[in-house]
Amino acid sequence: MLRHRLIVTLSILVFAAMMLAACPAPAPVAPAAPAPAEGEASWWRTAAESAGCVGVTIRGVSESTPPSNFAKDVLGPAFERDSGIKVELETTSWDQMYDKAIKDMEAGTGIYDFVYIEQDIIYAYLANNYLLNMTKFLADNPNLAAPDFDFGKFTTFIDYFKDAEGNVYGVPMEAFIKIYLYRTDLFGDPEAQAAFKEKYGYDLAPATNYQQYRDNAEFFTQWGKDRGLELWGTTVQAASGHPSSFYEVFETILPSGGVYNWGINMENWKASVENGGTMNSDRAKAAFQFWLDLLPFAPPEATSSTWDEVAASFAAGRAAQGWVYGENAAWIATDPERSKVVGNVGVALPPLADESVLQDAEEGRGYIGYYDGGAFGIPATSKNQACAVLWNQYIGQESVQADWAVAASRVVMNSTFDDPKVQEVDAKTNGYFTLLKEQGHLFAGAPPFPFHATIREVIAPYVYRAIAGELTAAEALDQAAAAVDAELPKLGYGQ
Amino acid sequence: MRSNRLGWTLLTPSLVVLGIVGFLPFLFVVWVGFHDWNIFAATRGMIWTGANNYRRLVFDQEFLDALWRTLAYTVTVVVIELSLGFLLAQTLTRQFPGRAFFRTIYVLPLVVAPIAVGATWRLMVIPGFGPIPYFLERWFGIEYRIGTYASHAWATAVLMDVWHWTPFVTLTLLAGLTAIPKEPLEQAMVDGANRWQVFRHLTIPMMMPVILTVVFIRMMDALRVVDEVYMLTNGGPGTATTFIGLHIFRVVFPKTDYGYGSAMSLLVLYFTIVLCWLLFVALSNVGKQKA
Repeated sequence: MLRHRLIVTLSILVFAAMMLAACPAPAPVAPAAPAPAEGEASWWRTAAESAGCVGVTIRGVSESTPPSNFAKDVLGPAFERDSGIKVELETTSWDQMYDKAIKDMEAGTGIYDFVYIEQDIIYAYLANNYLLNMTKFLADNPNLAAPDFDFGKFTTFIDYFKDAEGNVYGVPMEAFIKIYLYRTDLFGDPEAQAAFKEKYGYDLAPATNYQQYRDNAEFFTQWGKDRGLELWGTTVQAASGHPSSFYEVFETILPSGGVYNWGINMENWKASVENGGTMNSDRAKAAFQFWLDLLPFAPPEATSSTWDEVAASFAAGRAAQGWVYGENAAWIATDPERSKVVGNVGVALPPLADESVLQDAEEGRGYIGYYDGGAFGIPATSKNQACAVLWNQYIGQESVQADWAVAASRVVMNSTFDDPKVQEVDAKTNGYFTLLKEQGHLFAGAPPFPFHATIREVIAPYVYRAIAGELTAAEALDQAAAAVDAELPKLGYGQ
Repeated sequence: MRSNRLGWTLLTPSLVVLGIVGFLPFLFVVWVGFHDWNIFAATRGMIWTGANNYRRLVFDQEFLDALWRTLAYTVTVVVIELSLGFLLAQTLTRQFPGRAFFRTIYVLPLVVAPIAVGATWRLMVIPGFGPIPYFLERWFGIEYRIGTYASHAWATAVLMDVWHWTPFVTLTLLAGLTAIPKEPLEQAMVDGANRWQVFRHLTIPMMMPVILTVVFIRMMDALRVVDEVYMLTNGGPGTATTFIGLHIFRVVFPKTDYGYGSAMSLLVLYFTIVLCWLLFVALSNVGKQKA
């Protein structure tokens, strides 16, 4: 009897647990969907009807980031209301997103009607003819060209999604820079300022060079320890088995040390110094070593941190400074439900190895950090291309940009910077949007490599091993450069 | 004759499905394994290279390291799970208070998908967020960092697998123990054999078919582990937990080196079959000697 009761009780508990687990989590509070004017709403419906799209469901896949989640939670429902086309946007992890999109387009299954194209993969997609030429499609179908959509309204970031003839293959939906964030409350603390000056002999300030960054990191780590705080000197995106650490090193740290395009010579497709590359140059080794030496001053989760965890660590108040993807700047600085450092966030250009790096960037020879972003592109294999083109134009309207920028700190149109809502957040983030607008040209996206993912996978294990302490920075880069020199000819480059 | 025809008729749908989702893809992998094929290469399409991919594998240090790492992991988890499983199965053959409750609770890990197991363990062990490093540091002063120390990541991967799969081993062995006849055991006790002698000379030989089955299943599973470890450590720190399944996944998917990845998969399949066969012969001989 007792046993029977026990089994019944357990069954009820398990069932209740399953029911609770199945309940959807409350949706994040998102800004209200933009209310289009009466005429506009009817245009979307009319266009959808003429293209036979009313009642159609279009499916997309994207990385789970603030900009994509806004598209899914706010713009998707609004588009369905205005056009009668349902949008199912699957937001998943970065690697799963690529895996699914590439498999779909390579196999030609036509599962997805739009996919996220990160700036760094566009060259590979174009080389494989994966994407629909939107410029041509709209020219061929003028009745589907929305009145509030114009490629010319976008910032120059849209150039990344064009082919050599200027045809556009993706509508930018996020663009931001990887910035230097710091805690204004800590850097402005008079006690900390005095202690820092006494120890290092100069004023405590946001870092502009490597040495200053390291001193700041060391100082605040000790500061936290002395006061029993969960505080460290810096974030480090050093997940020791995840490509995010490769990206931090090759697209943020090496450029700030004066090593561009992953250190690969794009004239002969070689990486090692002896073959004309710079991947294992002294500058690259110094920059990488500087980054590795920061690990003792980073929170313990650093070696498990990808881009998301770095933002989370900073928002949790566990780091005094760090390189953080700009898409997180707005919520870290303004959302008290997710961030403990609201009102205490400063934004600045990332620290550089020396002044020559800034000079390179200003004169167009290099760049100081990473300009990240992506677009929604339409696979050539999509079975609902016309409907997806309408969706892409919907998210590319000027009228939806400001709310999107406020929610996800991304800007793809120049006019967005002037919107009062954006300017309000700009003040709260200590000038993030101003920095993006005025200094964005100093940053650059990934180099135009069609072999991006393949070579990343060749290099990344050496980064992981250096993080794990199995290799020094110099050994890791020497071996990585040799491996790249061996791999590229197999791919048909630099033979 | 009639029953033969009926048998084949009933089997046909399954064979067709098996052929489409199993045999044809297998043949395609064999075919791809003899080519160079990377969709992001300047040279489009598949290029016939004969056995070159297999030749490369023999000298590929990363592949060989991943293979050895996987073998060590497999031996570790199978031995621990078998020992623990046997102990628990023996315990569960006896009556004790709360036995039914324990049996119910105990099998719960089995119903969790491996990817969810990996995600859950990751949440529990990430420093700064997870409870395990927090309490280890607070109570014992142990700095537990799976992203930094290879030994910590390795131990956690083993522990996670043991947590997930020991219930399966226990249940299977428990079924075997329940099914063996009691008479020979009782007779041996009457003849003066002690518990250890009964266990070693009667229980183990009679359980050998079940043990073999469990070892094979767990060994094959452990050799191709991917999802749990992918979620937990992604193969890090460095290459400490890059087991062969994860290594192949990286070569085939992110790196898109389909030809080489296919050759790797086939070699690992061959290796698994040979290993199972050797184990089968060895354990069968042990069983016969004991009998």
